[in-house]
Amino acid sequence: MILLRLISWPYARKHLLRCLLTTAGIVLGVGVFVGMRTANKRVLAAFNQTIDRIAGAAQLQVTAGDAGFDEDVLDKIRELPEVQAAAPVIEATVGTGQNNLLVLGVDMLGDRSIRNYDLEGSDTAIDDPLIFLAQPDSLMVTKKFADERGLAVNSKLPMRTMQGDQVFTVRGIMKPGGLASAFGGDLAIMDIYAAQKMFGRGRKFDRIDIALQEGTGLEGATAKLQALLGSGFQVEPPSSRGQQFESTSRMYALASNITSVFALFIGMFIIYNTFAIAVTERRAEIGILRALGATRGQIRTLFLTESALAGLAGTSVGVLFGIAMARAMSGYIGGMLTEIYGVAQSPGDLTLDPWLIGTAVAMGLVTSLVAAVIPARSAARVDPVKALQKGGFQSLGEGENRARRRWAIVFGVASIAAFAFNRFWIMTYVGYVLAILAAVLLSPALSFWLSRALRPLLAGLRPVEGALAADSLIQAPRRTSGTIAALMLSLALVISLGGLARSSYDSLAEWMRIALNPDFFVTTAETLSSRSFVFPGSLADGLRAIEGVAEVQPVRSVRVMVKNAPIMVIAINVGAVAKRVHLPPVEGNSDEMYRLAAQEKGVVVSANFARLHDAHMGEMLEIPAPAGVLRLPIVGVVDDFSDQQGTLLLNRDLFIRYWHDDSVNVFRVYVTPGADAAQVRQRILQAFGGQQRLFVLTNREVRDFITRLTDQWFGLTNVQTAVAMLVAILGIVNALTVSITDRRRELGVLQAVGGLRNQIRHTIWMEAIAIGIIGVALGLALGAVQLFYSIEIARRDLVGISISYAYPFQTALILIPVILGSALLAALGPAESAVRGSLIEALEYE
Amino acid sequence: MLNLIGGLDRPSQGEVELDGQPLSKLSDDELTRVRRDKIGFIFQFFNLLPTLSCLENVSLPLHLRGWPRKKVEERARELLDTVKLGARVDHLPDELSGGERQRVAIARALSVYPPILLADEPTGNLDTHTGAEILKLIHDLHDRLGATVLVVTHDKTVADSCPRTIQLRDGQVFADTRREEVRR
Repeated sequence: MILLRLISWPYARKHLLRCLLTTAGIVLGVGVFVGMRTANKRVLAAFNQTIDRIAGAAQLQVTAGDAGFDEDVLDKIRELPEVQAAAPVIEATVGTGQNNLLVLGVDMLGDRSIRNYDLEGSDTAIDDPLIFLAQPDSLMVTKKFADERGLAVNSKLPMRTMQGDQVFTVRGIMKPGGLASAFGGDLAIMDIYAAQKMFGRGRKFDRIDIALQEGTGLEGATAKLQALLGSGFQVEPPSSRGQQFESTSRMYALASNITSVFALFIGMFIIYNTFAIAVTERRAEIGILRALGATRGQIRTLFLTESALAGLAGTSVGVLFGIAMARAMSGYIGGMLTEIYGVAQSPGDLTLDPWLIGTAVAMGLVTSLVAAVIPARSAARVDPVKALQKGGFQSLGEGENRARRRWAIVFGVASIAAFAFNRFWIMTYVGYVLAILAAVLLSPALSFWLSRALRPLLAGLRPVEGALAADSLIQAPRRTSGTIAALMLSLALVISLGGLARSSYDSLAEWMRIALNPDFFVTTAETLSSRSFVFPGSLADGLRAIEGVAEVQPVRSVRVMVKNAPIMVIAINVGAVAKRVHLPPVEGNSDEMYRLAAQEKGVVVSANFARLHDAHMGEMLEIPAPAGVLRLPIVGVVDDFSDQQGTLLLNRDLFIRYWHDDSVNVFRVYVTPGADAAQVRQRILQAFGGQQRLFVLTNREVRDFITRLTDQWFGLTNVQTAVAMLVAILGIVNALTVSITDRRRELGVLQAVGGLRNQIRHTIWMEAIAIGIIGVALGLALGAVQLFYSIEIARRDLVGISISYAYPFQTALILIPVILGSALLAALGPAESAVRGSLIEALEYE
Repeated sequence: MLNLIGGLDRPSQGEVELDGQPLSKLSDDELTRVRRDKIGFIFQFFNLLPTLSCLENVSLPLHLRGWPRKKVEERARELLDTVKLGARVDHLPDELSGGERQRVAIARALSVYPPILLADEPTGNLDTHTGAEILKLIHDLHDRLGATVLVVTHDKTVADSCPRTIQLRDGQVFADTRREEVRR
């Protein structure tokens, strides 16, 4: 402790800027980790809270995917002696211009045994459910919602329903807390039969909430209900809906975790760099300490303690930064999940998870300590005689570098070997980690070689400034190797994400060209992912009768639990669709698979479903449906990007029979050749737009919507690019600050023999640009390797979609000026400090 | 004092004039131009840049003046020949003896043939024999090039070899001696 006070503290005070920059690495890493995780958890917690609040006293919920089921199921359930109360529910979200509004359709006669509405004041309409029922425009809203929109009892609220625009009347206002806090307080309750009409559900319920008789076991009741309803229904506690959502958004959570871990990994290199430099700078000080009797262990402990303290400080600020980031990002993530997964979100209060904070602190500390292990070991090895010798220099890194190079080769070879055995999924990850480690270990040697290669070029541009800039890098590879490694990793990640995005866009564009070829899509919402409202199947005939319409293909899509995952079942008239669309086959014969699917002898599955859920041609799938379990063989595997979890293509008639559901989410409309598409669209809107909720989206609008969703998904790339630029600036400022200290005498001599201030600036700028060039070169090269693994991991474990390898040259071309510009920006401060220093001190500096 | 005369430092009081030009009124870059054109420095610890070869070290002030590469190389080789290091142009400072390093430093100081040469303990870091050689070289250059050479030293032998010696004690001129003939 005394050493910390006497030795470390004065050093830290003297190099305050560098200490802050080092800590910034950890702040960034921990901040991104805490921020992304907290934002994700906030969204998930809000979802779970909504489920919990809406579930009320319900212990079990009966569902049949999100297609719903017939009303008579309710009577069957109510007959069971174990069931104390069973309440049907329709649950859907409606855009209200501001936030989404969660509308809950409930049976006012029986629902209060499950849910407590806790209304403000006394209201006869609600106290007597029959009055509420008798007025189909009745609506209950939360106090929060009412206050935000200036609503009171008897206020009117217009909404666009499947029966056209309707005006609802607020007949009750729920007090804050409890049920009213579900969905962030944006909740409305209406009678279930009104909700059926509003959302076009026909005579169907979305689910039934069940409260069991006192003393009834949950497992026993579940088994009994399951036996009663058949395996086409899911009988589960409400909490399992949260698990389903978690599983649906798993890919997003995994991607954000990778980002945060990578940020921390990059932070580690910044710390390593700073400590490696500190050891070099403090050689004389270490020599004195050793001469005065400090043991190697004490020196090592001193550096590790310094690192731990820096880690602790960085982690503390990082946690605060992460909380601020979570606040800023929750809305974005919630909105994105709503659009991609069609599950509306409303981020609730921000709650901090002590485990997450604990993990972040531990990660920050461990990262700092791991980063300082090698520098601390080097410090302990300082030879006091050499350290105290004026002008003497003990090379601490050479042996280490050779060892590093040897390990790099071993890891590189092992990585290739792992690739050869990559049919085992774990080997892909092993190969990936080994390839990254090999690159990291090799980066100092590569930096050295590249610096040497750059010397003639830089000297050619500016004989003195360029040569000195390159020499500075060649002479002190330790000073910059950490920065370059951090830059390399960061850019490699940007390249791999950019490459993944580009490859995905290419694949997606091809899929859209093949699959989304109708002229119009008639939908119930402005977006394709919203499935709250449905059309009656009969609308197809109405659309066909419109002049200029050549063909109408109804599409129904519902999520159903298949292979324990919520899979999208898409019901289409396979025969008709196959005439217009032939998705690229991955397994099976294209004509044959559509023929069999049209004959209801099989199901065509998407390639991502097949990969993610290990399904193969000929395998018999069990698809639960209200009419029983549908058992069909897989007759073909095609590339289809409709859903991230995978899709099953069924014939529509088969779906109608098994789900008792002829409703439609989207009508694919083809215009007669030669007809004016704009006029046809207008005719559709004139014929049906006034009667019901109906949108006619053009082919371009749908494609733009899908591209926008993909843009949002790859919005993470922007975060990564920002992190990469910050790393570039932080690392380069750090390396240059030290470089200027190291080269103080050299720069002094340069000025003494006639170097102008601008010439001194140029040498610092050129050094920064050289660091940038080397970092970019290594980053772009490692990015090519990382992209390969990213595509492999995405194909195997994330989206299951085969994405062709396409190096993002455009991203790379953008990165070059961005990083070199950042490097130059980073060099401005250090260059100014170099020209402002005292010339006398510089020349006497030893 | 050398720092003040050489324009490396600014006086807290008083004025230093060079060719009638008061240095304290010059900006940093103007001061650098004065150093570049009129003054050559020879340091006790040579202050060669360790990563540059002898040729590159000597070329340094010429490049900084923006001379064409070919002309720079010709002049640097000529200067290294002058200090008898023509055979070691590509060597790095670490590969030279102390005396050789000081020769390179002298060649660098002479690169633009400045009218003033400032030498700070030029023999202070050398053994007696090498020191004598360097001293002889400085005197030769003084005779051949006609530059004013100002040597700061604590070594009486060095001081006695100079035609004029100004002794300073506690910041004041203590003695000013001119010699007709000096020991070389």
